[in-house]
Amino acid sequence: MNKMLKVILDILIVVACLVFLALTINMVGSFKYANREKEDPIETERSVFEYELRHKSYGEVMNTYYVKRMYNFEPQAGMEDIYNVAEYAHAAFMSRVYAEKGDDRMSESNALRMETVRNRLGDYAYTADEVDEVIRNAP
Amino acid sequence: MRCKKCLHEIGPEELRCPYCGAENSYAVQHQKNMKRFKKDYKKTRNEVIRSAQSTRGLATRAAILIVLIIGCIIMTIVTSLNYVDPDPREVNRRDAERHVDEYVSEAEEFLKRGEYTEFVSFMYAHDLNNIARDKTDHLVSVSYVAQEYYECIQLMEEIILRSTDPDYFDGLDTDIRNFCMYVDGFYEVLEVQRNRKKSEKYHAYMDDMDAELRAAMRTYFSMDDRELEEFLSKSEAQKAVILEGILRHE
Repeated sequence: MNKMLKVILDILIVVACLVFLALTINMVGSFKYANREKEDPIETERSVFEYELRHKSYGEVMNTYYVKRMYNFEPQAGMEDIYNVAEYAHAAFMSRVYAEKGDDRMSESNALRMETVRNRLGDYAYTADEVDEVIRNAP
Repeated sequence: MRCKKCLHEIGPEELRCPYCGAENSYAVQHQKNMKRFKKDYKKTRNEVIRSAQSTRGLATRAAILIVLIIGCIIMTIVTSLNYVDPDPREVNRRDAERHVDEYVSEAEEFLKRGEYTEFVSFMYAHDLNNIARDKTDHLVSVSYVAQEYYECIQLMEEIILRSTDPDYFDGLDTDIRNFCMYVDGFYEVLEVQRNRKKSEKYHAYMDDMDAELRAAMRTYFSMDDRELEEFLSKSEAQKAVILEGILRHE
């Protein structure tokens, strides 16, 4: 009886050793994964932003803005320019909507907002002119 | 003790009386008992040693197996923790749980100012739709309508502000299809939420979003009231065809 038990335990020990070895390798891999070099998301976003501006794709800038804002209502460091350009574009879009709706209160506050954001654009002030032209000539 | 025969003092271990030679029955019995005890002791000791020797191997093996199993469990836990990426929304969620009253007031301010897309972004960013439902329950109805409005406005902005560069990816067809789907969704949700008595306080905001969306469609799709009503009565596919015609042949 004892001999049989010893044999069974020996088999279980061999299996446990193999599993232990596999888990050790897996654990080493998991540490490599946890300490992997991660790309800087802000740098990627800015690079994409510059590309979109080169092609005047303000629609894509808006898409990024709306997606990012679902996680960070205020812009993260490095994302301020993207948020500013998108905010201006949204305000410009809504300016014609309020005018069509006949909502003077919103038109006035929106105009003020456009001016405030335009003053924040800095090097990207040219985007405000481009957006104004697109909105003016739409559809 | 005393000898039974001559009553002289004798030692308890003396087998015979040194004075009269009589047998000391107590000492004889004691000697017999001691022999028996020694024999039993040896027998028991040998049995214990034999038993210990036969099970020693089992105990060692069992100990090794238990150590290996515990090691495997610990490594599994460490591995799973390493593979879990931190939830980027966790910080926001915890912050919102601490300031839920303040954030709910701020969300309502966005509604009062008519900034509906900001309202939706704010609700999402602070996960107010999911945390502290008892404090945000009153905003559920208007949230549903605002989310559909938000999608419609976002897509319209993407459509109108799209790149005209022929070398740039053209996603107009997808945006038009999605817009048609969301505009139908907006009116379905609006109808359902307007019929709810609980949301009466927010009906004005819902109507305002409807008015803004219609104004946006009239402006950017060059439609008058009649054309807009006709457009809204069409199916999703028909809407998409109409918009393709307007936007591709501008």
